[in-house]
Formats: sequence, structure tokens, C-alpha cells
Amino acid sequence: MKNKWEKNLIILTIIGLVVGSWGMYQRLAYGHLGMNYGSFVPWGLWVAFDLFFLGLTAGAFLITILTYVFRIRLLANLGPLAAFTVLVTLMCELLIISLDLGHPLRVYRFLITPNPGSMLFWLVVFIISMWIIYVPWLYFLIREQLIAWGNDASRVGHKVYRFLALGKTAYTPQDRQQDHRRTRFLSYLSLPIGVIFFGAHGAIFAILHNRPLWNSAMLPLIFIMAALLSGGALITFLAYLYQPNDELIHPLGHVVLLILLSFLFLEALQMFVGYQSKITGIVTSLDLFIIGPYWWAFWIVHVLIGSLVPAFLLIRYPENSKMVALACFLIIITFLAVRLNYLIPDLAVYKLEGLQNTFFHQRLRPEYVPNLNEWLVAVWVISLGLLTFLLGTRWLPVVQAGTGEAEHV
Amino acid sequence: MARDLPQEDPLIRMQRDLKRALKKKPTDIKWGMVIDIAKCIGCHACTIGCVAENKLPPGVVYRVVLEEETGHYPFVGRRFVPRPCLHCQNPPCTKACPVTATWKTEQGAVIVDYNKCIGCRYCLVACPYAARTSDFGEWYTAETAELPGKLYGQKAAANGYEAHPAAEYGQKWPDRNGGSPVGNARKCHFCLHRLKVGMLPACTTSCIGRATIFGDRTDPHSLVYEMIGSPRVYVLKEELGTRPSVYYLK
Repeated sequence: MKNKWEKNLIILTIIGLVVGSWGMYQRLAYGHLGMNYGSFVPWGLWVAFDLFFLGLTAGAFLITILTYVFRIRLLANLGPLAAFTVLVTLMCELLIISLDLGHPLRVYRFLITPNPGSMLFWLVVFIISMWIIYVPWLYFLIREQLIAWGNDASRVGHKVYRFLALGKTAYTPQDRQQDHRRTRFLSYLSLPIGVIFFGAHGAIFAILHNRPLWNSAMLPLIFIMAALLSGGALITFLAYLYQPNDELIHPLGHVVLLILLSFLFLEALQMFVGYQSKITGIVTSLDLFIIGPYWWAFWIVHVLIGSLVPAFLLIRYPENSKMVALACFLIIITFLAVRLNYLIPDLAVYKLEGLQNTFFHQRLRPEYVPNLNEWLVAVWVISLGLLTFLLGTRWLPVVQAGTGEAEHV
Repeated sequence: MARDLPQEDPLIRMQRDLKRALKKKPTDIKWGMVIDIAKCIGCHACTIGCVAENKLPPGVVYRVVLEEETGHYPFVGRRFVPRPCLHCQNPPCTKACPVTATWKTEQGAVIVDYNKCIGCRYCLVACPYAARTSDFGEWYTAETAELPGKLYGQKAAANGYEAHPAAEYGQKWPDRNGGSPVGNARKCHFCLHRLKVGMLPACTTSCIGRATIFGDRTDPHSLVYEMIGSPRVYVLKEELGTRPSVYYLK
């Protein structure tokens, strides 16, 4: 059964790659010419996806907190799967944000002419830090299995596993102890880095004093909660698929419910403060997504399908793993609407009176709707990420290596 | 004759001020601009002058003229507020740039290094005045028909004008086939390439109402210095603390 849906998903991702390649061709051959964003709404669908992917990386962070701070040992088994998920989502994030740059080949500028005063620079630093933490973390978690697979001559590609294990053929108790020490150290290191990382990408928006909806100390906190929510939902859903253990899924469901309610509370608080401030820029931006032309993205996609239905499922059926997984799935697939609703409304409100009448060009308008090319590029990146994930879980011991990890917490 | 009527064309005086400024040590110059709202007639000549001078492609604009309606019927008014880059003394855009591709020069102009800019557009988001635009690589001649073998067509039309970017910042830029400034953030730079050769910015010389005054704002003998001292002076969005170098007269 599992193999069947895996096979179907792989076929789906290949179709996604083929279909999305038209958008990729448009992007690579003609730059940003075929895209809908402009100078007044300079960030669009791809930046929303970037935030979406960054949020999904929080799954591993959540596992780390629950395991090493709250000592929920059972969740430690999810470590390798969570670390692998982080790397795949980080890859998708890097890919889509590179495509959004006007000159992606100049990213080396971050190294040779960095601006430590820029939040964007620090975000890149923390993205690199995440790679530095999670690549060795995953490696040390799966090393034992890699060596075992490398030694198994009957296994297809055992030489590749031997190579990945750096030629090592024996795994001694000392090696095991050493690897556990290393992974524990990296887990502890990931706690502060993770908080700053998820907070930093809220801070990118929050520090801009010309953006009244964003310019609030609450935004980094909301971004941390948003990341924990989408990441937690993802890891719970994956746990249901790969380690369908009720004892594992049920506590995760409780955690996701708690985060969902906290997130909704913060979101409601932001709207309450925004409306009560009666500042035109804030009220106009809020109106735009609450009662504007895309009200359905907020009320139907986010509030109803992405929040109320999952909250109902998690409250009503906390002991039903299938329902918990369904609730988490709904949260994940609707979370792009949350990201778009944070990103677009503030950009889409003119900050100077009369600006709308100065110059008429499609790049100088506040209306933004992603076009087909933008969606196709997103489909391509998601398909690539999903294919990498499916093949990775099949060819790397990321599921098997989790067993027994709890004993070492 | 009223005392405040100019005895000579302000352009002549500004030209004289500019010559004097250019004799100073570059670090002692601080460029500034004053826009007299009462004199602006909303002709948009400055916008067009800027577009022509810098050969700006479609969707890229450095200087727009905002139109504001004031009062309530029957006591209504209309005023025009030209908005170039305000060259803030505390610019939010330069702080936003992750690769130091934009900065404030010693003379107070906020500029962009097209060869450094990665095109992340964070500076566009950070600018409170929407004074930056991104060059998405648009062409005026995109819709022009191509007639193979004929003298005139899309390619010939493009080659005749827009394929070759203007020498902004005094540099020659590659043809518009994807290289900078395509993909970059672009903005008003006080026509530094003109200033270098003793010419006033294009918006200043094209202003038929003489509403735009430009010069060294630290030179007590300059017209711009005199105007900044006017009781009518104000800046846009003062509350943000950006301290623009472009001032307005009510």
C-alpha cells in the first residue's frame, strides 16, 4: 500500500517537473519579464513560498524542543526524518528565492560585500547555519545504518553507502556514544539558532517603519509560531505516514493543537490592535485581505479549512491518528494563504497619496495576482522537493535510523 | 516690482552655484533639492526629462509628480508634488541592502552600484517614498512588428534607442539583453553624470515653472540654501526620521 502511494506520488512529481519546466524556461530565458510582480508589489508568490518552506523547516526544531527541553523521549525517533525534511525544505527555499533574485549568480556578494546592518544578510547567515547544523546532525544520526547498509553486499548500491560512510566498515559502541554526543550537542545548538532563524525572517518585515502592518514587535513572534505550526503539522503528518505509531502521533497532535490555538490568538490580537489603532495604512491593509477581493483566501482557505476544521478534528478526535494526520495535512496545504496574507496586503497599499495616478504601467500598480508562469515555477520547485524527499526516504536510512534514538536523550 | 520676483532666471543662478560648488573639496559638498509646490504646474516635464536623460525603460521611473486634491467642495484645490528620490540623510534603503550595493555618497546622494546589486528588491520594500523601481527588462518596442529584410522593425527600432542604456553614474552599461541594469533596483541619482561635467540635473533644467531648485545645501550663497531657510519648508513623512535632502515649499 505504502509503495503504491509512493509510486503514484513519484509519478505525480515527475509530471509536476515536466509541467513546471515551462515556467522555468520562461524564468531562465526571459528573466522576470514574464512575471506579474512589479515595483510597488516587488515580492509575490515566490517570496510567499520562501516563507512557507522556511516555516516547514521548523518541524525538526519542534522535535528538538520537545525532545531535549520537554524530554518527550518518544519523539526522538523522528530525529533523522525531521532533519532530512529540514534539508529538503531548505533546498526548496534556496531554489525559489534564488529564482526571485534579479541576479541570482551574484549571491557570492553576500560573502565579499556583506552588510551586517541588513536583516536580509542575517537571514542568509542563519540559513547557512541551519545547513551547518542539520547536515552533520542527519549524518551522525544515520551513520550506523549507512555502515550497516554498506556492509550488506546484497543491497543495491551498497558501495555508495560505503562511500557515504567514508569507507567505515565497523561501528563500535564508542562510535555510537560519540555520535550521540555529537547529535545532542547539535540539537542544543539548534535551539537558539532556530529561535533566531524563525524570528529573523519575521524581523525582515517587522523592522520596516514605513510598513505599518508589519512594523510591530509581535511579527517575529507570529512568524516563530507560524513556523512551528506549519513545521509541526508537517512532521506529524510525515510521522503518520512513515512511523504510524499512535503513541507518537497523539502527543504530536496535542502539541499542534496548542500551537494552532496560540497562533490564532496572536493573529486575532494583531488584527484587534491593528483595527483599534485606526491608522489608515494598517486598517486599509487589514481590510484588503479580510473584506477585500481575496477575502476567501483568508476566511475560507485559512480560517475555515486551515484552522477551524483542523482545530475541530484535533479536539474531537485526539486519539484518532488518521484524524490528527488529516488535520495536519489541512494546515500544511492551506498555509500558503497565511503567508500571502502577511506579505501582499501591506505592499499593495500606496504609501504616498496620489501615487496611483502618476505613472501608468503594469509594473507600477498595487494589484498583484500571481500569473501562470509564477505558479508553474512553484510547481516545479515543489515537485523537485517532493521527489527528493520520496527518493531520499527510499534510498537513505532516514526512517530506519530513528529507532532507539530515544534511549540516548 | 515685488521683492521676491527673481531678477534673473533661477537656472542661471543655480548654474553659477553649481560651478562654485564643484570647485570645493568633494567631501564638503552636500547636494540638496528644494521643490516649490506653489510653482509646480503639474506639467510632468521633469518626469519626461528624467526618462529621456536616463533612457528609462517601461515601468522604471525616477521622478513622478503626485497629484493631491485638497479641501472640500466648493473650496477645493489641487496641488502637484514632484517626488524624486529624497536622498535621505538617514536612508532606510541602504540599511536594507544585504550586499552593500547601495549607499550614501559623501556628497549626500544615495546611489546604486548596478554591478553589485543582486536584485532582491528589499530596498524597494524599505523605501517609504516608493522612490525605487526595479528594472524587469521591459522594452518599449516589445510590441513593434518585425519585418525581416526591411529597414525598420522591432530590432532596428530598439537598436536606435533603448537597446543601449544611458551612461548613468558616468559609466557605459552593456546593451539591454539581460545584464545590468536589467534585474537591478534603479533610482534617481541626482544626475551625478551631469553634475560631474557642470550640468544641473535633467529635472531641474526641464522644469518650466522653475519649481525645482538644486545645489549645494551647505553653501550659504546658493539658492538652494536660501530656499531651505524659507518658513514654507517641509519634508515628506518627517515623522519617519529619514531626514530627506529634498525639501518642499508649501
